[in-house]
Amino acid sequence: MEDEQAMQAVRDGDIGKLELLFDRHHRSLYHYFLHLTGNPSASEDLVQEVFFRILKYRQTYRSEASFRAWMFQIGRNAYLDQAGRQKGEVALPEEPLEMSAAAAAPDRQVENKQETALLRRALATLPDDKREVIVMSRFLELKYDEIASILKCEVGTVKVRVYRALRELGDHFFALRGEKTAG
Amino acid sequence: MDCERIREQLPECLAGRLEKAAREIVIEHLETCSGCRAELAQLGVVWRGLEKLAAPELRPEEERVMHDRFAERLAAFQAGFEQGRAAAIAQPRSVKRPSFGWLGALGARPAWQFGMAVGLLVLGVLGGRYVAAPGHENAPASPDVAQLQGQVESLRQLVTLSLLEQQSPSARLQGVTYAYQMSQPDSQVEQALLHAVDHDANVNVRLSAVDALQKYAADPGVRRALVDSVAVQDSPLVQVALIDLLVQLKDRDSATALRALAHNAEADEAVRQRASWAMERLGMPQPEVKK
Repeated sequence: MEDEQAMQAVRDGDIGKLELLFDRHHRSLYHYFLHLTGNPSASEDLVQEVFFRILKYRQTYRSEASFRAWMFQIGRNAYLDQAGRQKGEVALPEEPLEMSAAAAAPDRQVENKQETALLRRALATLPDDKREVIVMSRFLELKYDEIASILKCEVGTVKVRVYRALRELGDHFFALRGEKTAG
Repeated sequence: MDCERIREQLPECLAGRLEKAAREIVIEHLETCSGCRAELAQLGVVWRGLEKLAAPELRPEEERVMHDRFAERLAAFQAGFEQGRAAAIAQPRSVKRPSFGWLGALGARPAWQFGMAVGLLVLGVLGGRYVAAPGHENAPASPDVAQLQGQVESLRQLVTLSLLEQQSPSARLQGVTYAYQMSQPDSQVEQALLHAVDHDANVNVRLSAVDALQKYAADPGVRRALVDSVAVQDSPLVQVALIDLLVQLKDRDSATALRALAHNAEADEAVRQRASWAMERLGMPQPEVKK
């Protein structure tokens, strides 16, 4: 059964079909929230909140709409609501660097780990909207038309936003790497 | 095609999602443009590096806890839904009220269902947390409690909405009571309360809804709706309650409506006097009340 058919069934009263949709999509939702919040517990709560909202607003689902895009729209709103409530308290998805520049050994593996840490830090410093499009396009592998539907904009706009976000991420990353090298 | 247009397609190119024709155009451009080749190389480093930042897969026990939490909530909703559907078949409704879909069915036996749903939530959340976090038994419980309060609040919203559309006035009164107890205002509940103030057949429900709307009074739209409602109410008791609320809210935008009411010879005498009193309390020019 396709997602859209399952959601139509939920909308029409077959509430149990929501379990099918949960089983299919809770992981991608969890990863989406984990990238945005950096907090596993908060991410799990947000996943539960999304499926709660799907139940609450199930009558607003339109048959012709992609379920996945609709679900991420709800997820995005849930995240923004939570971020609004906890403004200043939302942790950036940045793990502590495991090594200092002085401790870094010159072998390839360590260098890669360090660069991964720098990239993580660079990603954490991106504005929310830019990090979000990278998460959607790179980690969730959403198609541009799905992202456009979630963000309520044109596909061309998504194309530009993903490129600019990736460009800015690269600028941050190479700047951090340059500082390390210089240090 | 200029470099900017080409570069905007590089992320799709790196993801392998660019269609063949577009990809060939990009490749053709790259063969002759060293700037775009350098851009592709840099973006490629970042794109490939991001792979290492992908979130780790959920562990099986985490999957199970997450699924169980979901399943418990779903079971609570389903129980309410099925009972509501059975009740709807047994007792067809004759009064057309705004529909909240299955939420209406949920409230067929609201007290029992609300209790059951909250009970399941308590078990699910606390049990799930306990199982999910071995070795963290001594961690502070406050985040769990806060989360639980939030989920209970969500259920309270659902039950409130369902109660407000029940046939029984006592059920609707109970719904208004729940609305009053909600700590977080909700737009659907707000609309249901405004509808109750204007259209509920039972005066007691309307009076209670006026009280419950105090919580929503920061919303200018609610204030306007309350002012509008004063003029169309057929119950003097509700009119007086609305006037008192507008005074309590210090709503000076209600001057026109209050003045009209104070001058309306067809309005109840007590209502006219209350409108006049309200204008005085709000520091508005006093009308000459018709004897």
